[in-house]
Amino acid sequence: MTCESVREQLTAYLDGELADERGSAVRGHLRGCEACRKAATDEAALRDGLRALPPLDPPASLWAGVQAQLAAAEVEDAKRPAWRRLLARWAPHGRHIGFAGLALAAAVVLIVMRMQRHDETQPQVAQPVTPPQQTRVVIAPDHPSQAPAPAPVDETDVTAALAAEPAQITASYADTARELLDLAKDARAQWPAERQRELDTQVAALQKKIASATDERARQSSYRKLIRYLQRAVIRDDVALANIGGTP
Amino acid sequence: MKRALLVVCALAAPAPAKGYKALAVENQLGDVRIEGHDGNGIVIETHKHAPDDEGLDRLRISLVPDPDGTVRISTHADPSPESKPVPRSAVSIDIVIKAPRKARLDVAVGSGKLEVVNMDAGGELDSASGAISVKNVGGELYSHTVSGHLSIAQAFGSVDAATLSSDMDLDGIAGQKLVASANQGTIAGRRVRARDIELTTTSGRIMLEAEAGLKSHIVVSSLRGDIDVKVRRQPQSALIVRGRGTKVDLGAQTVGQGGNWQEVKFGSGGEAGLVELRASLGNVRFAVIQ
Repeated sequence: MTCESVREQLTAYLDGELADERGSAVRGHLRGCEACRKAATDEAALRDGLRALPPLDPPASLWAGVQAQLAAAEVEDAKRPAWRRLLARWAPHGRHIGFAGLALAAAVVLIVMRMQRHDETQPQVAQPVTPPQQTRVVIAPDHPSQAPAPAPVDETDVTAALAAEPAQITASYADTARELLDLAKDARAQWPAERQRELDTQVAALQKKIASATDERARQSSYRKLIRYLQRAVIRDDVALANIGGTP
Repeated sequence: MKRALLVVCALAAPAPAKGYKALAVENQLGDVRIEGHDGNGIVIETHKHAPDDEGLDRLRISLVPDPDGTVRISTHADPSPESKPVPRSAVSIDIVIKAPRKARLDVAVGSGKLEVVNMDAGGELDSASGAISVKNVGGELYSHTVSGHLSIAQAFGSVDAATLSSDMDLDGIAGQKLVASANQGTIAGRRVRARDIELTTTSGRIMLEAEAGLKSHIVVSSLRGDIDVKVRRQPQSALIVRGRGTKVDLGAQTVGQGGNWQEVKFGSGGEAGLVELRASLGNVRFAVIQ
């Protein structure tokens, strides 16, 4: 066997695909040819190194590039005359494929090794991760036919907003209570002394409950009682109705 | 493009020996819907929405079954100072709960909708700006909101409803007592058969269609709003109607007048019902539906 023919079959030999007498012939040549033996050793070491690499998905851009090249080749194929496509189909191309395969394998190896080195040398910075779509159900966008929505202007975090909301609700109740207290003051001036005292006593008791409330929900509940009482006192003209109805 | 993500989980909590007595839900982050059923178990379905996975992970739901038969469900958002702020409007948690009808409710929401259907034991419903919708409920029901629309239909127990600045719709209230008040908002009641009815607004019209039975007591008052009341009267009982306002139309010849009050009487016989209508700065109109 010549060195050239051995080199052509070296990949298949290392893959264990030459189990018959062809494998024996290659083995025999390698025993006597130091150059071919070194080539076989190098290729075997390269394969071992590749196998030791962690599984790594190629970047999407690489696959997109491959697809683009394939698409361009198909377009070129379509442009070629039929006789050239037929000729290319039947032309002997084993050696060309072999070289092309080696070149492609070498290119992939280089890319993978460079990526590996890149990962090792780069500091570990958190990268934006695309959410795993298979574990989430994506809801249709609010306005699918419109342009992308602008970034939210409000940069207040949800936790701060949530923490502020109970006090804002209480403030709404307090505003209404103040409004009704003003109305009650106006009405009170027209009332007899006994009715005024009744109003003052009830309002003072309810305001004391508001002041002693331990949390916002309890404070809101106390405000609701005060509002209900003032509505009855001012609008219904009945100051002694604080106990009617629940109003928790 | 704004992106929303959805996560659905369903939990079936085993019922304690004596069944669930109460359900307490606090969700500032979204909607709550509670549906009563005849079984003993509770099924909870949650829907979380956030711009991305990081936002979703910050949204938490806790479920704590107490030994006394109360199930407590609450939501919150984890603080995350390292990450970028997520606006309040960009995240939400919606909860759908199927619960035993006999469970009493204590539910609070913020700006989300609160819906309750087919529950028998009443309870307390609270919202800030979220709408409250209640249908086919029994027991003593307390419902209050700052600015969310309030709708109660087919209530078979006592109802106490209050809003600060929103409208209220009441339809088919058949319990012993109905007390409702709005500061800045209208109250519209239809098919109300409660024996004691008390409706009050500071600024807001009140419309009521009710049935007056024996010893019914209906009090409708507004400071600045108009009052329009129609009552279906039982033939065997009398009905006394008193009205006071800028302009008063009681639908019949006034038989009495004292102070600023005008009074009419419909029918005769004992156990008379009483209707009191006050509109300090508004008009009063009353009619009997035969």
